[in-house]
Amino acid sequence: MATAVVARPVARPQSRNRDEEVLVWPDLVFIEFIAAMVFTITLFALSALMNAPLLDQANADVTPNPSKAPWYLLNLQELLLHMNAGMAGVIVPTIWLVIMGAFPYFDRDHEGQGVWFGTEGAVRLTVVGSLVGFIGTWGLILWDSGKIAFFLNDWFGLSGGDTFRFLENVRSIQNQLPWPEWSRSITYLPFNLKILDQGFQHLDFPAWLVEQGIPTAVLVGLPALMIYAMWKLGWVVTRRDALIALFSGFIAAYGVLTLTGTAFRGQGQELVFPWELKVSEGIPGQE
Amino acid sequence: MVAEVTIAMAVETPSKPTIADKIYDKLFHNYVWKSVFRTGYPNTPRNQMLVIATNVFLHLHPTRIHRTHVKITHTYCLGGLSFFMFLGLTVTGILLMFYYVPSVERAYLDMQNIQTTVQFGQLMRNMHRWMAHAMVILVFLHMMRVFYTGAYKPPREFNWVVGVILLVLTFLLSFTGYLLPWDQLAFWAITVGTNIAGSAPVLGPKTRFWLLGGFEVGPDSLIRFYTLHVIGLPLLAAIFMAVHFWRIRRDGGLARPL
Repeated sequence: MATAVVARPVARPQSRNRDEEVLVWPDLVFIEFIAAMVFTITLFALSALMNAPLLDQANADVTPNPSKAPWYLLNLQELLLHMNAGMAGVIVPTIWLVIMGAFPYFDRDHEGQGVWFGTEGAVRLTVVGSLVGFIGTWGLILWDSGKIAFFLNDWFGLSGGDTFRFLENVRSIQNQLPWPEWSRSITYLPFNLKILDQGFQHLDFPAWLVEQGIPTAVLVGLPALMIYAMWKLGWVVTRRDALIALFSGFIAAYGVLTLTGTAFRGQGQELVFPWELKVSEGIPGQE
Repeated sequence: MVAEVTIAMAVETPSKPTIADKIYDKLFHNYVWKSVFRTGYPNTPRNQMLVIATNVFLHLHPTRIHRTHVKITHTYCLGGLSFFMFLGLTVTGILLMFYYVPSVERAYLDMQNIQTTVQFGQLMRNMHRWMAHAMVILVFLHMMRVFYTGAYKPPREFNWVVGVILLVLTFLLSFTGYLLPWDQLAFWAITVGTNIAGSAPVLGPKTRFWLLGGFEVGPDSLIRFYTLHVIGLPLLAAIFMAVHFWRIRRDGGLARPL
């Protein structure tokens, strides 16, 4: 009998305790009114002090360097630098949105509902998950920019020479390793598929590895590894725990990607410090 | 006879109405005012519940809520403020629509006119811009609040999904508005943005063509983005918002520990 109840996580009407309730007028309506007023006044003040940008008229012949998407898409533009464009721009965000939408169907437990960090160890999972996302994303961006190899050499005189050049960033795995010629064009379809372009019929393995293989392994593997480690440590016990770690890691990674794309990408999408960031208007003859 | 005397003595004689009382009475207790606002100022619990239940704008609320839910730190008003930004954007957006024509010949000139010659034009444009940024941030923070308070759990599963859809719609609303000033910032941001969409396997190029109405950002893109921005997406967002708010009530208000 008990199992029958637990097995069906349908809507359970919550019991109402009238003593615990307050009237919406005035207790809630006034808070809403104050919040609305605070935002209205703040936004009026901000709008009086700061003008929305308006640059020169649109010109298809003059490309600013760097050209950037709106800031909330710069996380995707940042991902784009590290992997196959279709993956970074469409597949990864779509899959993530689907995963996020499926959260409540994965974690159906009622525990921890309606209170901030309501389950045991939730704060720890949030902090550690965020740190892993933050450090991991920054580390990967730094590595892929080639800066880590550069700093190792520049600051400590450490250099792997040509032998380890392929570790400089992800692209050098494709360029610096002696891949045999056949691996760059593997015909894997037994027939001539004309739906897609020619490139689809022949697999360029090193390119595939760098643009899709490694990024997929990293995007799936690192979060999985984190949750596995947390499970081994006994931090992740329930599905809710796993989701907290995953979601916190996502928020941190999303923040780092957005921030990097916004403030740390200069001309040619080179990784620079925000104070070195310059935008060329793209007018010929002008830097 | 004796009882009657006692009662008569217990009744206080009302103090003489002051001038202010008389004015108040004339203003708010007349036939016309009462035809609009039936209950008068809600100063009794009965009237306070009636005003919520009978007012079309306030009836999104229940008449009573759990006392923990009026604590600011429980929600930080993030969902409500996202909706408030949507309303503010509608108002400022309509004002801007009076002056803006989405054609390549006029768009940029209209922007300059709004900023220089239209009364309060610059202010309206600034408000629209900063509110749009605020809405993106608020919606995102609202999502975080709902996640960390475990408010997506049963029976609110589907409302979380509706929320994810609204997050995407918010991004799209902001993105489609980004092209309209028709300046270099707009043009290249949309070029980069639609290139990202166009890089999807198989359907990408078609999607990009459909979005832009051509192979690159041009007059057809402007009218498409404009139409989506001022009617298509807001309508869609409004429908999903209606479902979102309705479900909050149907699912028993804000989540709380069982």
